[in-house]
Amino acid sequence: MAAVYKSLSKATGQKDDAPKDGVRKNKQRVLILSSRGVTFRHRHLLNDLASMMPHCKKDAKFDSKSKLYQLCELADLYNCNNVFFFEARKGKDLYVWLSKVPNGPTVKMHLQNLHTMEELHFTGNCLKGSRPILSFDATFETQPHLRVIKELFLHTFGVPQGARKSKPFIDHVMAFTVADGKIWVRNYQISEVEKTGDKAGEDGGAEKDKPSGGKKSKPGLKDTDINLVEIGPRFVLTPIIIQEGSFGGPIIYENRQFVSPNQVRSELRRSKAGRHNARAEKQLERVVKKGDLGLRTGGVRKPADALDVKQVFA
Amino acid sequence: MAKSRLLQALAAEKGVDIKKVLQKRKAKENSRKARRAGLPDTRHLKKPQAQQKKSRKSEADAEEVDSDDEDEEWEEEESDEDDEMGGLIDDEAEDGDSDEDEEESDEEGKIDLAKFEHDESSSDSEVEMEAKIERPKKGKQANDLPKPKADKAAIRKAAQAESDSEEEEDEEEDSDIDLEDLEDLSDAEREDLVPHTRTTINNHTALLAALSRISIPTDKSVPFATHQSVVSSKPTADSIDDVQDDLKRELAFYAQALEAAKLGRALLIKEGVPFTRPNDYFAEMVKNDGQMEKVKARLVEEATNKRAAAEARKQRDLKKFGKQVQVAKEQERAKAKRETLEKIKTLKRKRSESGAAAGEREDIDFDVAVDNEIKGADKKSAGSRPGGGGRDGPGAAKRHKKDAKYGFGGKKRHAKSNDAASAGDLGGFSVKRMKAGAKGKTTPRLGKSKRKAAAGRR
Repeated sequence: MAAVYKSLSKATGQKDDAPKDGVRKNKQRVLILSSRGVTFRHRHLLNDLASMMPHCKKDAKFDSKSKLYQLCELADLYNCNNVFFFEARKGKDLYVWLSKVPNGPTVKMHLQNLHTMEELHFTGNCLKGSRPILSFDATFETQPHLRVIKELFLHTFGVPQGARKSKPFIDHVMAFTVADGKIWVRNYQISEVEKTGDKAGEDGGAEKDKPSGGKKSKPGLKDTDINLVEIGPRFVLTPIIIQEGSFGGPIIYENRQFVSPNQVRSELRRSKAGRHNARAEKQLERVVKKGDLGLRTGGVRKPADALDVKQVFA
Repeated sequence: MAKSRLLQALAAEKGVDIKKVLQKRKAKENSRKARRAGLPDTRHLKKPQAQQKKSRKSEADAEEVDSDDEDEEWEEEESDEDDEMGGLIDDEAEDGDSDEDEEESDEEGKIDLAKFEHDESSSDSEVEMEAKIERPKKGKQANDLPKPKADKAAIRKAAQAESDSEEEEDEEEDSDIDLEDLEDLSDAEREDLVPHTRTTINNHTALLAALSRISIPTDKSVPFATHQSVVSSKPTADSIDDVQDDLKRELAFYAQALEAAKLGRALLIKEGVPFTRPNDYFAEMVKNDGQMEKVKARLVEEATNKRAAAEARKQRDLKKFGKQVQVAKEQERAKAKRETLEKIKTLKRKRSESGAAAGEREDIDFDVAVDNEIKGADKKSAGSRPGGGGRDGPGAAKRHKKDAKYGFGGKKRHAKSNDAASAGDLGGFSVKRMKAGAKGKTTPRLGKSKRKAAAGRR
């Protein structure tokens, strides 16, 4: 009987939960996984990010690189409405897919300048699963594709309120900045210090004490000041395409500035090979030229000129 | 419910056509319900209508798949495919949702026993999935089943509502078609194309539509704690002159994050959300203790390295300075020597000038004068020596003593061989001891013959 009552009350509670706020509650779950062929650094980055996202479900490596639409079903299976997918190519290039599951959109980005938390040796640290403050650059609001990307970041990296395993305090900031056509991602710890002017006592934060630290403070906020200590990881993302669907559908944005790393590498190789090619070409040219001048044994003989020395003094 | 998902996945794995199975099951259930509806039960009075609606729908749209009838919450309605619109029609999807709601409210009156069975599995952490919008697959579904008329009407309505955007879309769709044409080209033809002429795709309408579909409100109308996102007041890129300049760039990022942190903190504290972690709240951290230990060890190592480097530099400087001192000393010595020699020379000249009449007496005088001069020079040089120690300094007594004991300077060879004095010295000889040695031996001297015999035996 109690079970019946419980389920009934739960059902009714759920019913009037949604319209009470007027807006739907922000519920996000992220399926986070990589393709096969990631390097250890890619894997470590994935782990770092997963450790900061209590609302994520980490899954085993995904086998296929062409049938990415299967990820939708997988996400459905795990009851996730976001997918964060690392696709490694050639054991060195890393592409990141961010997708909303049933209906899209999907963003594909190229990840560069990757430094995992462990490599960076930063002194910052934060609670595992605390909700971050997401700091977006103002540039994100200027263009539609950036707005879409921002929304996806918000869904993926923002820990929803009341998420399971999330901690009640807020102690880190995640910063997304657009510079040079790329998105730079940083992660800082918020450390609160006594506002006594003596900041030297703060461990590790001493180096970060920049002039911007001292000015702005609310009188109501006890006498503490904020400074930030970087936690890591660091990486840079270059958007490539946005698809309308989830791992499918028409492409609604394409970045023309993006040059694929394969192209860069082949360009390098070609320029290196070019030196040899030029030399070989020149050699061949000389052979032909000599032949034309009749200086080679097998070459074409030039018809004797009437004014040639040999002809004149014959 | 997760079970049902799993079932689906399993079925997909096995290759069983889940749609068929579902339809069969549905038909069975419908017949069962119809049978039940025949009973005089008030709570089922409303139901047949809903059922009819449902069954009609299922007939009309053969492809409609309800995920599982037992699970009301996950009943997903697939809106129908349409070729012209792409997947852009949100209105239609919403219509579908509202229909679903109506159905749910209809069925709310009755107590669904199936719900109780599965309610335990639906936890709070579940996310609400939005209804899936089906998209047409290129070409394949163009000549599909004929669409129900009602759907066409709905499409037309939606199309009218979006007529403005539709025109723009058409233009953009044209460009899409161009691209698709390009994709259809054979490889040989594609190679001929110059890659730089590809058209840029930036479909603003579609982007904004996608955005509006997924966006969660972040404006002032909702509490900040629901989203916790801050947009900086001015573009950060403005304060970065050169992206390659690491220090400036990181400083700009830091400033952006700091601004967000301050604003966010103020807002959260105003909303009464706990912000600062109390000192006695311990929980798992992102970096574990081992890693923090490593970081600390690294910091310490860096500090010690720095100190060691400073020390080494100091030593180097000292060494350089010490060399200078040595050079100065050598120069001074050379100068002193020169001066002495000069003085001797001048003295000699004076003597020779004063007259050669003097004899031996003069020579002694000269030696004394030279000694005086040299002593004066020595004294000067000794005075100028910086440190004590050595054989003439303040700690010289000990040195002298040791020198006396162990010897210092002079020739090392023939030190132990006799010279005339030592050969003549009989200080160490005592007759008594010599005699005593003789007294101890009592054996008398043997006769000559016996001695000879002994020598021969030996």
